[in-house]
Amino acid sequence: MSVAEATVAPARPAGRVSGRHLLILPALAVLVVFFVAPYLNLLLISVMTPSPRAAYLRVLTLDNYARLVRDPFTWSVVWHTMWLGMATTALSLVLAYPLAYHLARSPRGARGALMVLVISPLLVGVLIRTYGWMILLQDTGLINQLLRALGLRTVPLMYNNLGVLIGLTHVFIPFMVLSIAGTIQGVDPELELAARSLGAGAWRAFWRVTFPLSLPGVIAGTVLVFVLTVSSYVIPSLLGGFTVLTIPILVVRTITELFNWPGGSALAILFFAITLGALWVYLRLAGRTGRTT
Amino acid sequence: MLRRGERVWLNAAVALVYAFLLAPIVIVVLAALNAGAYLRFPPEGLSLRWFVAFAQSRSFTRSLAFSLKLAATATVLSTVLGTMASLWLVRFGGRLRTTLRILLTAPLAVPGILTGIALLIFFYALGWGKTGFGGLVIGHTLICIPYVFLITSAVLVRFDQSLEEAARNLGASPFATFRRVTLPLIKGGVISGAIFAFVTSYDEFNISLLLSGVGNTPLPIQLFDYLRFSFDPTAAVAGTISIAMAVVVVLLTQRLVGLESLYMGGG
Amino acid sequence: MASLRLQGLTKRFGDVVAVHELTLEVPSGELVALLGPSGCGKTTTLRMVAGFDVPTRGRIVLGDRDITADPPERRDCGMVFQHYALFPHLTVEQNVAFGLEMRGLRRPDVERRVGEILERVGLGGLGRRYPRQLSGGQQQRTALARALVISPRVLLLDEPLANLDAKLREEMRFYIRSLQREFHITTLYVTHDQAEALVLADRVAVLMNGRLQQVGAPEEIYHRPRTPAVAAFIGLTNLLPGRVTGRSGERLVLETPAGTVRAAGAPDLREGMEAMLSVRPEHIELDRPGEPASRDGVNRLRGVVQERTFLGSLIDFRVDVGGGVLLRVQGRGGAPQRVGEQVSVSFDTTAAWALPRREG
Ligand SMILES: Nc1ncnc2c1ncn2[C@@H]1O[C@H](COP(=O)(O)OP(=O)(O)OP(=O)(O)O)[C@@H](O)[C@H]1O
Ligand SMILES: [Mg+2]
Repeated sequence: MSVAEATVAPARPAGRVSGRHLLILPALAVLVVFFVAPYLNLLLISVMTPSPRAAYLRVLTLDNYARLVRDPFTWSVVWHTMWLGMATTALSLVLAYPLAYHLARSPRGARGALMVLVISPLLVGVLIRTYGWMILLQDTGLINQLLRALGLRTVPLMYNNLGVLIGLTHVFIPFMVLSIAGTIQGVDPELELAARSLGAGAWRAFWRVTFPLSLPGVIAGTVLVFVLTVSSYVIPSLLGGFTVLTIPILVVRTITELFNWPGGSALAILFFAITLGALWVYLRLAGRTGRTT
Repeated sequence: MLRRGERVWLNAAVALVYAFLLAPIVIVVLAALNAGAYLRFPPEGLSLRWFVAFAQSRSFTRSLAFSLKLAATATVLSTVLGTMASLWLVRFGGRLRTTLRILLTAPLAVPGILTGIALLIFFYALGWGKTGFGGLVIGHTLICIPYVFLITSAVLVRFDQSLEEAARNLGASPFATFRRVTLPLIKGGVISGAIFAFVTSYDEFNISLLLSGVGNTPLPIQLFDYLRFSFDPTAAVAGTISIAMAVVVVLLTQRLVGLESLYMGGG
Repeated sequence: MASLRLQGLTKRFGDVVAVHELTLEVPSGELVALLGPSGCGKTTTLRMVAGFDVPTRGRIVLGDRDITADPPERRDCGMVFQHYALFPHLTVEQNVAFGLEMRGLRRPDVERRVGEILERVGLGGLGRRYPRQLSGGQQQRTALARALVISPRVLLLDEPLANLDAKLREEMRFYIRSLQREFHITTLYVTHDQAEALVLADRVAVLMNGRLQQVGAPEEIYHRPRTPAVAAFIGLTNLLPGRVTGRSGERLVLETPAGTVRAAGAPDLREGMEAMLSVRPEHIELDRPGEPASRDGVNRLRGVVQERTFLGSLIDFRVDVGGGVLLRVQGRGGAPQRVGEQVSVSFDTTAAWALPRREG
């Protein structure tokens, strides 16, 4: 048993000690039965044979993967998904960093109020925020009305990559801010003062001192946002219309519209593999630049 | 730190980003209060007509009630399970601590839509078919547990265990210690965990999309279907309700545990 | 009242042996101070007595009952925690009442006893406050009241004064001592402050690296340390290496780098053994040189003053007595010796204490 040392617990007759494990048991059971098992099941189904008559045939095969890997369409969707992930991550980072810096360097009281502004959007359902964007971005939406009133040409802002990018960035900025603000707050403001006293301008002091020290937060934030972006479903499907296709959307279609469970499952597994691979490459690169600066 | 001129630039940039963050939310509220069928410049005046339309729509009110019932159930379950799990992990985690922390937060890290797919197929494999309310409760509880777990853990880690020892030392049984000392002191964390769980479930879309069936339609799914065909501001009313809830939640959490405990990645 | 006996108590945390084979008795009604440097296992010992840590080996006996396996709530040990562990969500009254309520006392009895004890520790009128509204000293007394009100069979204190300022600490020492005497309560008092231990305790137990070094009355620990480590830990002392070359009456004769010295010594020291000589700075006197070499009952060495530091009521000298030995000497405020001056260094043979070199 892993109860190496009892702390609060008194010496009890052996055997009764494990009563405390009842605390973790229910959550563990729920997660194992309804989270781990379903994903294992997905993995299992991804190597079954598709069939027009049944959900799948219990015949093991790797064809589902082979077909996906050989199909250029799969790769175009994969590429598109990864591109959206990277673009959203980059854009969120650029917009979130000043916010995080400002937040971390605000006095305590103001920080509380600003945190409310950062967190509130997180708690409004994705669907509702997307709806807000639709009102703004439609061809007849507020922005285009404004352009028209100014005598300018209207611009298609929705049902394309731009709309999706705007919507995704909006959703994930708070995650980025939260990740980064913590590390910036851990950087002593006096370090920047010291750099300035040594003759660095405001920008250089920031760039040479604070920024490198906040990199752990930046890396955590970019990883988080990338993972969340490539996984998202609502925003690409509503703001992208039918023009934007990502892996999660394709998985849902394959399974709920084409009823190809093995094919969809294989794509889902492939998605995890690609996402993890992308993260691995990214963390290797980040580790390398981290060491050279 | 920064001189005046530099500060002005930073503040301007920051203000723009905040405006970007709040724009769609403000717009939804305006749309709900707007008299016309859609927002235009200049606005056509204030009206509550869309609130009336929402209240009179059977499908919206029914899915609102369903969402509230679902969120309440998932909140109770995830709060109990998540709090117990974080108590165990912070106190007795031992060597399994890291593994279990990953497992307990994993539902946040994997795409909700794929979890929904996996559950859907799993339920079929078990012969349960679309399980309606039960299936949704399971899916939502799964998604809510990480929030409760993370927030109560943040509070528990700060909790001074010698208080519990003091209680035991004064003659309190383990249960009395929990009820009289531990619980009153971590109450704030547990309540904010529960609040987060409630909002998460109320707004959850991905799992619901796959697991809901006829007569079991949570509000976000109802909205999704509605938005495919119509932009009229009845949907904005649902949005405004959700926004009001979010504001209350944020303010409550700020009072109870302080939002800074939500910082990720340390600090 | 009951006596507390620890028998062969051992606690390991993984590879770390925090407490090793500790055998110690706290006689009924006495105050025993468990003294030792940081990390020596004091808190661990106390936690085992209170029932928060489970001993790896050994027994804990309170009165005539073995309580080693009892849960904390059935041990009847009142504990004062280092950081007090006052319940922040309860008022002073509610904190103090907690233990009585757990014992199922009726409301009027609880109120009466809480009132009495708060009066006794000088907190009457502060009962409605919350811990965060109290000063450090008041929190300290609340913690004491909370532990005492349940009339425990033994009182455990873990560095209770460590968080107070120097002046308050001095006051509280005497206060705790008088409370302990008044309640006549068996007490185990953990501290790393040797002055505190010497002032407060009936007996002092010195713990180092989890091992008990010596138990005895404060005077005995101070004047007759049994190991060099104890001598060095308790008060200031000069330690000189030496070898026992003979006996002269009651005294041992030692050859040290600074010369021949006669000293009292532990009974197990024999001729030819390596020894350590301990001489406290306040027992050494400085005179003009030229006095006769060692008179009866007095050791006399020659030296040169190397350093002189003014400490207010005292003057601290370092005197080179040859053989590479610097002796620390504390003279009265007016001591005239200057740096570079030749002096004669003298100390009674009873004030010099020899102990075996091998550490226990
Ligand atoms: N829970 C634990 N796990 C691992 N090692 C521990 C634990 N508690 C104590 N130790 C180790 O046991 C030894 C004794 O610790 P203890 O707290 O008893 O010291 P102490 O004498 O009270 O010191 P201090 O005066 O600093 O409070 C130390 O080396 C400590 O690191
Ligand atoms: Mg200690």
